[in-house]
Amino acid sequence: MDQTPPTHILSNFEEALRALRNDVLMMASLTERNLEHTRKGLFGRDEHWCNTVIADDEEIDSLEMRVDREGINIMLRFHPLASDMRNVISTMKMSVNLERIADQAVNIARRGRKLIGRPEVTELFELQPLFSAAELMVKDAVRAFANRDIELARGLKARDRQLDEMNRTFAEKMTNLMGGNVGLIPAYMDLIFIARFLERIGDQATNIGEDTVYAISAEDTRHTLRVDS
Amino acid sequence: MDQSPTQSAPRPGAMTDQPRPRADFLKVVDFNFYYGKKQALFDINIEIPERQVTAFIGPSGCGKSTLLRNFNRMNELIEGVRHEGDILLNGRSIYDRQVEVIALRRSIGMVFQKSNPFPKSIYENIVYSLRIAGVRNRSVLDETVERSLRGAALWDEVKDRLHDSALGLSGGQMQRLCIARAIANRPAVLLMDEPCSALDPIATAKVEDLIHELKREFTIVIVTHNMQQAARCSDRTAFFYLGRLIEFDETQKIFSNPREKQTEDYITGRFG
Repeated sequence: MDQTPPTHILSNFEEALRALRNDVLMMASLTERNLEHTRKGLFGRDEHWCNTVIADDEEIDSLEMRVDREGINIMLRFHPLASDMRNVISTMKMSVNLERIADQAVNIARRGRKLIGRPEVTELFELQPLFSAAELMVKDAVRAFANRDIELARGLKARDRQLDEMNRTFAEKMTNLMGGNVGLIPAYMDLIFIARFLERIGDQATNIGEDTVYAISAEDTRHTLRVDS
Repeated sequence: MDQSPTQSAPRPGAMTDQPRPRADFLKVVDFNFYYGKKQALFDINIEIPERQVTAFIGPSGCGKSTLLRNFNRMNELIEGVRHEGDILLNGRSIYDRQVEVIALRRSIGMVFQKSNPFPKSIYENIVYSLRIAGVRNRSVLDETVERSLRGAALWDEVKDRLHDSALGLSGGQMQRLCIARAIANRPAVLLMDEPCSALDPIATAKVEDLIHELKREFTIVIVTHNMQQAARCSDRTAFFYLGRLIEFDETQKIFSNPREKQTEDYITGRFG
């Protein structure tokens, strides 16, 4: 794990960097909590948790704007360079990705609410491995950022490919089931959408991993085929 | 080095149509420098590329200005100084016995932190060194004044008052006049020692724009404490600390991902 740099001689700068980091970590914690509530709402067919996820998204949206404001303020006042600059940029990008993850959680919660009104399909529970994989990717992306763990961050790319494959397999299976169960097509469609949202969450966790690698080592790993498994 | 003070042809290295700029136009080799017993520079090796802007950064007392002042042998004006190693301009030692220091200083112009125009007219400031060298031809002098003032982006502002006192100019204009005076001799290298530290942001922007224009023709070395200025103006940046060259690389690399921890700590303000 990478060492934290020594303290800045300008205490205001140090304080501003700390506030930015704390806010994005708060956002990460709320996003993780929303995913947990989404899981309860979706697999427990619980409308209350689905509604909670939708309502709580606002808090994450406002934190995203706050992180943006703080980042812009730091650039304006302190002109960060080198690792400071990379950290500010990565933190701002991380907040965008967290906000999108939270939006995907809202999308899943909405589909979950629809599913409650439809006939139960046991295939819902086949989404659990996808959900767990996506959720764990988010947790690990946040952990990699918080602990400056470059290896954990790098590993997300390979895990994202696995999640993509899980989504593909699941969507194929649902499509095949639709032919024999016309009455369940709307429910299967919801499941396909949910799998797709989970796959997008994996993409966004990977983005956080790439930004973390950039923050630590200045290496741009986006759009590369490298797989560290 | 061309020792003719009035040549109309540019000096070697100052020509814009030169096909390939030298990567080691100004080359410092195993250079040590002493003020009396105190060593100010330690084993400096650096190759400054032709027609690029090279920034020297580092905390006060790190040796960046000392090295700059060695390029035109200005440090020799101080008693008790000595050096080891060599500095080569376009492949030739500036310490070569055949090199005349006056001619060297014409080849390597310098602009200082505080603008220092002579208490004379704008025109006379520009042609001062030519007059000292005995140039009397009015058309040569006029041509030099216009070329230099245009080169320093000052012509349009002063063309109607060339014979007014230079001391009536604004701070930014005075600094650009000093740049015009420095380039009047068509130097191969232009040294700038914190040229904007006494200027307001608008005057600073004009000088920085000018630096960008001047590098088409001149090799520029700028000492600055302003990190943003180094990032904006220069192609390559050298970081000095306690008389040693710590890191020298492309400016973007230095300011986004420096190789050395000391550089990182300095530019992020985690020094000392």
